[in-house]
Amino acid sequence: MARLPGASALGRLIARLRSVWRGMRRRGDVEREMVEEFRHHLELRTEDLIRQGVSAREAARRAKIEFGGIEGVREDARAARGLYVIDRIGFSWLDTKLGLRMLVRYPGLSLVSVLGMSIAIAVGAGGFGLIHALVDAPLPLDEGERVISVQNSNVRNPGSPARRSAHDFIVWREEVRSLRDLAAFRGRDINLTIPDGGTAIVRAAEMTASGFRVARVAPVLGRVLLEEDERPGATRVMVIGWEEWQQRFGGDAAVVGREVRVDSVVHTIVGVMPEGFHFPVDHRYWLPLRLNTAEYGIGEGPEIMMFARLAEGVSAGQAQIELAAIGARMAAEHPETHADLRPTIRPYTHPFIGLDSPARGRLLRAVQYLLSLLLVVVSTNVAILVYARTAARMGEIAVRSALGASRRRVITQLFAEALILSLAAAAIGLAIATFTFDRLTELLTSGNAAQLPFWVRLGPTPSLIAYTTGLAVVAAVIVGVVPGLKATGRALHGTLQQLSSRGARMRLGRTWTVLVVLQVAVAVAVLPYALWTTSRFLASGSAEPGYAIDEFVHATIAVDVDAVQRADASEARTDLIPRFESSLTQVQTRLQAEPGVAGIALATGTPGSEGAQVELLEMEGTGTRGWVWVHRVDAGFLPLLDVPILAGRKFVSADQATGTHAVIVDRVFADEILGGGDVIGRRIRRVPRDESESGAAQSAEWLEVVGVVPAFTPPPPFERSAPRLYEPLRAGDAQGVARLIIRARRGIQPGSLAVRIREVATGIDPALRVTEIRSAADEDRQRRQGLLSLALSVVVVMGSVLLLSAAGIYAMMSFAVVTRRREIAIRSALGAAPRRVLIEIFRRAGAQLGAGALGGLLLAELVARVGGGSLLTAEILLVPSVVALVLAVGLLAAVGPARRGLTTPPTDALREE
Amino acid sequence: MGRQTDLLPGTLDLLILKAIWLGDVHGYGVLLRIEQISKGALEIQQGALYPALYRLEHQGLIESEWGRSENNRRAKYYRLTAAGRRRLRDEEAGWNRLVAAISTVLTARPEEV
Repeated sequence: MARLPGASALGRLIARLRSVWRGMRRRGDVEREMVEEFRHHLELRTEDLIRQGVSAREAARRAKIEFGGIEGVREDARAARGLYVIDRIGFSWLDTKLGLRMLVRYPGLSLVSVLGMSIAIAVGAGGFGLIHALVDAPLPLDEGERVISVQNSNVRNPGSPARRSAHDFIVWREEVRSLRDLAAFRGRDINLTIPDGGTAIVRAAEMTASGFRVARVAPVLGRVLLEEDERPGATRVMVIGWEEWQQRFGGDAAVVGREVRVDSVVHTIVGVMPEGFHFPVDHRYWLPLRLNTAEYGIGEGPEIMMFARLAEGVSAGQAQIELAAIGARMAAEHPETHADLRPTIRPYTHPFIGLDSPARGRLLRAVQYLLSLLLVVVSTNVAILVYARTAARMGEIAVRSALGASRRRVITQLFAEALILSLAAAAIGLAIATFTFDRLTELLTSGNAAQLPFWVRLGPTPSLIAYTTGLAVVAAVIVGVVPGLKATGRALHGTLQQLSSRGARMRLGRTWTVLVVLQVAVAVAVLPYALWTTSRFLASGSAEPGYAIDEFVHATIAVDVDAVQRADASEARTDLIPRFESSLTQVQTRLQAEPGVAGIALATGTPGSEGAQVELLEMEGTGTRGWVWVHRVDAGFLPLLDVPILAGRKFVSADQATGTHAVIVDRVFADEILGGGDVIGRRIRRVPRDESESGAAQSAEWLEVVGVVPAFTPPPPFERSAPRLYEPLRAGDAQGVARLIIRARRGIQPGSLAVRIREVATGIDPALRVTEIRSAADEDRQRRQGLLSLALSVVVVMGSVLLLSAAGIYAMMSFAVVTRRREIAIRSALGAAPRRVLIEIFRRAGAQLGAGALGGLLLAELVARVGGGSLLTAEILLVPSVVALVLAVGLLAAVGPARRGLTTPPTDALREE
Repeated sequence: MGRQTDLLPGTLDLLILKAIWLGDVHGYGVLLRIEQISKGALEIQQGALYPALYRLEHQGLIESEWGRSENNRRAKYYRLTAAGRRRLRDEEAGWNRLVAAISTVLTARPEEV
């Protein structure tokens, strides 16, 4: 049978769902219509038979016989409507109504359950949606599913495919028949200078003309790149994106033909691509890719990415076979470079998001689904709560069973109730995930931040909705079916027996005791860690930098990275790096002379922790070692930030000469690593990486402390303190990239210097890249916002888990004592002292809680070790307080029922018995 | 009336689709129409008709609407959907291919082998 095209498949799916929904929702109507239709049929047949001369009575009888058993036909007809499964599990509209009624009847339970599950579903759905959007989303291109990436995979090192594949690209383009329009590109940051429009660094793709044929997108103005543009000596041309055309060229209708400068070379704009076209990844400018393979050997040249469209009627597998054959031949011809290389077809998106090997893909897939495990933890908690409630309804369940409801029927109803809860949670979870996606998209696409790949659309896609619904069903199974099975098992039989005399009751077995212990353990283990994490985020987020950040602007200045990559090591040393450093000096001198600039310094990173390298240092004499944040700064850095010298001296220009060993340390370093006191003149040295575990650092030079400064920048989030060491920036230290720290004059907005910084730099050397020009205040604000959102996320996720734990512990403890209420009353009736009874009750409750707390402590230790081992040192005080809290919740739950037991008049208790 | 023939498995849906394609019709009408066209050669089991109709409706190949029958009684009328028309076309083509192939085999003579 021929397959129907996609559109009608959707139509048929809708028809099926409508038919099933109708059968469920309006079961009575459907049944009535069926019967009416059958009756009409029988009447017509009877009339026909009468017309043929059969008597009326005989005609009616024969019509019925011919039709067959109406019940049988009706059953077959319902099955044909797809209602078989629903009939089988007995899920009905009534169940849904009962579920909704339960939701309203136990508002506290509903609220806690829905809240907890919605957070867990948001985490699971968010992780799934994000990874799905990055990796699996269909390419928004014509027949996008036929566009694939091609790479030279390395069998010895699957994680790092060979990207210098220009020679292979030429060979494959000529020979491979199963790929249409094999294309290559490389991303490049270019200095774009628009006459009367300033200079900006923009991300461009140097792409072969075939790339545009793969995309199958026509320009809105002018033309796309052509093969002729790639030839040596051809006019330099560029195609621009719609957004850039609007923003940088003011939507100029005559933009085609305008000249701009790319670095120092004049290019003519020949076309404008439509809005939203950011092919091949996140690009908005396109230049021809000129691969002059005569200039470099096999396995050399620029790093390129390759992609293509599968030829008509060819599958990815067939194309892979053809490529493999060519790869085998090339491996034989060039064993020195190609012995380990295998041309491989990959899903288009994979190489662009670091999924260079199938193993990484599997890892990502595992992460995608593991995030949803939080839901299992949360659902188990909700299951405990629901079980406690189910216990209270044992009488109802027992009566229903006695009246003939099957076990399946009862469990179906409990499942329906749970499904109502979990679907409500799923809806909220999806809304939270969508809201987060929106914020994330806003963050990632605003300003000069990196753009999202063109195929990424973060939002409630059909697959995300399907996944979330799946999560809801899983949660409903845990929450509804598990307690349901437990409640309708052997316990039910006992309940039926007890029903007449003592009322329904359910006992807590070993399972539930274990669950109480586990609950307490999880709460004890997780809460301190969550509090600690949050407090670190908050502490770091609220720490004030010790210098006037409002007056500073930072910028990264770098040499063309491609040029450094192209040059071999010796060329880089002899030419590029010295040229960069000389340009840097000129930039510094020129900017210093600017009227708005109060001062300028160079460093390898910003004053905060981001720009520092963490290194292991060893102290002379004692051999004490410690991890230290090392900053390389020029002599002007500390004075520019107004950092006072607490002891010793500041850096002088002579310290920047090669062969000198002066360093300045901060107060934390002096106290924690050097043990305080007078540290001037003390010596330290680096421990080489391979000797960091043991052995002496023989090769490293001794560095001498010449000065001490205060700790003027906050420590990173998870460090109690960060000892810092300042080392003079020496010639050659800036390997093609440095950070400019610029202080604006009073009254000048630091951000306003950005344009000038760029102009000065590109004026001195057009190949210099100035990026990340941001005021220090902005950077600090963003850092704080990031930390605060992290703190908030931890609080929300942990809070919901713990809320459920507390509710679970409360429900379990309270339930456990309720079931012994009569026992308590009778014991007190028989003359036991209330104190003794209470002690007996709390001894059991306390034992369970204590066991849980002990388990939690062990778990906390484990968590702390995984997280770096800092929990049980200073935050140890948190653990007892959490244990106390959990014990309090548990005991509080036991107090009420125990008191009620004690105050029940003995006669009542005996009567019950 | 010619000799009655048993229906081949899987052909009931095709016959029902064809009968409905000829014009909107109620359940009993489908039955009569097939018997009339086949000159009584094909007889549909009445009990099998309605499950088949509901299955086709569930699959979105036909749709139904309540109306008035020739004797002015409430009756449920069926008509083909676009998907149903496509399915009928495909099934007809498949059937014709099958018939042609089987005829070729059955009319083969020894010298052709």
